[in-house]
Amino acid sequence: MSRMSLVQGIAWALEQEMERDQRVLVLGEDVAKQGGVFRATDGLLDRFGPERVIDTPLSESAIIGAAVGLAAYGFLPVAEIQFSDYVYPGFDQLVSQAAKLRYRSGSAFSAPLVLRMPSGGGVKGGHHHSQSPEAYFLHTPGLKVVMPSTPRDAVGLLISAVRDPDPVVFMEPKRLYRLIKEEVGPDLAPLPLGQAAIRREGKDLTLITYGACTVETDQSADELARVGIEAEIIDLRTLNPWDRETVLNSVAKTGRALIIAEAPSQASFASEIAAVIAEEVMDLLVAPPLRVTGFDTPYPYAQDLLYLPGVTRILNAAKRSLDY
Amino acid sequence: MLELHAQFGLEPFTAQPITLMDSLGEELPFPAPLLRQLYRDLRRARRVDEELPTLLATGKTSFYMQVAGHEAAQVALAQALRPGKDWVFPYYRDTALVLGLGLPLVEFLAQLMATRADPSKGRQMPHHPSSRALNIFSVASTIASHIPPAAGTALGAKLKRSGEIVLASFGEGATSEGEFHTGLNFATVQKAPLVLACQNNGYAISVPAAAQSAPVRVVEKARGYGIPGYLVDGMDVIASLVVAQAAAEYARQGLGPVLIEFLVNRFGPHSSSDDHLRYRTQAELAAEQKHDPIPRMAVFLRSRGLWDDTAEEALSQELEAELDSALLQAEASGPVPPEWLFDDVYAEPTPLLQLQRDLLNEETS
Repeated sequence: MSRMSLVQGIAWALEQEMERDQRVLVLGEDVAKQGGVFRATDGLLDRFGPERVIDTPLSESAIIGAAVGLAAYGFLPVAEIQFSDYVYPGFDQLVSQAAKLRYRSGSAFSAPLVLRMPSGGGVKGGHHHSQSPEAYFLHTPGLKVVMPSTPRDAVGLLISAVRDPDPVVFMEPKRLYRLIKEEVGPDLAPLPLGQAAIRREGKDLTLITYGACTVETDQSADELARVGIEAEIIDLRTLNPWDRETVLNSVAKTGRALIIAEAPSQASFASEIAAVIAEEVMDLLVAPPLRVTGFDTPYPYAQDLLYLPGVTRILNAAKRSLDY
Repeated sequence: MLELHAQFGLEPFTAQPITLMDSLGEELPFPAPLLRQLYRDLRRARRVDEELPTLLATGKTSFYMQVAGHEAAQVALAQALRPGKDWVFPYYRDTALVLGLGLPLVEFLAQLMATRADPSKGRQMPHHPSSRALNIFSVASTIASHIPPAAGTALGAKLKRSGEIVLASFGEGATSEGEFHTGLNFATVQKAPLVLACQNNGYAISVPAAAQSAPVRVVEKARGYGIPGYLVDGMDVIASLVVAQAAAEYARQGLGPVLIEFLVNRFGPHSSSDDHLRYRTQAELAAEQKHDPIPRMAVFLRSRGLWDDTAEEALSQELEAELDSALLQAEASGPVPPEWLFDDVYAEPTPLLQLQRDLLNEETS
């Protein structure tokens, strides 16, 4: 056991899986000698050699497409997109090939790959190093989508993603890469995809979130506790398939829900959750589900902290819900 | 260098397409049974092609895409590969290729009709066949999107040291897509055993090659990647096979990717939804018929005493019988059931899909 940050946990989980199964290999831009620009693949080249840790050309369509072909051929590729903002040149491969291969072939072929990508803002990266594009992936049947928020979850979910028979987009909240450390070791069991975590129990208000927004959501719940409001926090961890049961049970109990995520609000995953809450537990609601999100602008550079849904925006929404 | 290169003096990047049929002497380039097999494969694909308008007219399919004019290139490619070992990433017009590799005719027709005998469970529009047993990868309609996966599979074959090679087949329009270049670049950097086979019929639906691509000759694109490119008369099944075998051997020896440009004609419109007289003349179409690979091969065989009227009649009867029986079987397997709609999105259905399956059950019960 040792204390690891989220990004160290990623590298550790990859090492475990590569050790366990010869079919697992890693590919992407700068993943080999460099160990990844965030060091998420640090040390793997020395351990496993250049046939299993592969530096690729600077081409996301080649990275994702090659991962599809390797997966169809029997490998378990873990491909890295250096920033989720760079996935777009590879979108056809993700949507037309990876996501549809199983369905269109009647399961004769499949693409059990993991596509890792650092995601989200708060790192002074401007438009093209800060976006949260999860809604695009969630709108594509055939993909699974994961976003952990803690080192231990990152390890457990990544191990499950590697072993999953279907393509998994594994989004890593880069703002949290080195924020906290947790004990990580061989006792850590794979964490099944599709299970949310209740981070804090409460009876007055449900705060549904994932990824980096768990930090401000937690701080907001502390603030609410000071004025006697007990907020329940759900960290979804897997965005597709997402844990409807845990969310709906909580909202049925509290009657109030905020969905907190940094992606723009229109047609977002937050919108989807709000819609399902409205469809399924309308009678038990005492206030409409509210989305607390980033703004519907391109991600700004100078004003990035104004863009992100911080404690103030969350508490304002909580007040609106509680006063409803 | 390679034996076939030595035998036929093949060089990459020739100014004129490589053609052999009309200049060969009495000595046979391949054993007689193989030559007859090539002719049989050409005729078989053409016979299936000719049935497609009837399938549409009788409502048994919704759409078709004909292969006529492309058969020689495809029959040659199929013959150069080891079915079930080498991997094939076809495109939508590869009827003769997949049949030549051994795809059961019933499966091909069932895919057109979306019946239960279709291994892909009626999920794809017509002319998107695939076969797990034959390593024929499932076709996507998005042009050139199969080339990066083909490069990945080729890398996989190299890493496993399996000796298997990979074929990616496409039209000249595909070479304008980024994925042609990203896939080719990846495979070349990795020195992966990938044969890229372009069937250049001069039209991407209606857009002529001159408006499609600079340079017009696709084979020139190989130069930029430092790989050999062969320009071949794709209406000449013998030249096509010689070049396809040479290319397959090049990849098999671990020398990296190789590109072939087959010059072919598309005798029909792009598809049953296209009217090619909007952009082609009757004179142009009539002129192309002179290059038809099937009469050309018939003449070649007959002039060497390898074929006669009796053999032709027997082949016709055999093809009719096979087609009749396959059509019956494909149709008799029946339409795909509604509940298949929700299978194979994932290995296991998600809770959301289970809810939606229930919803559909309510609608249909």
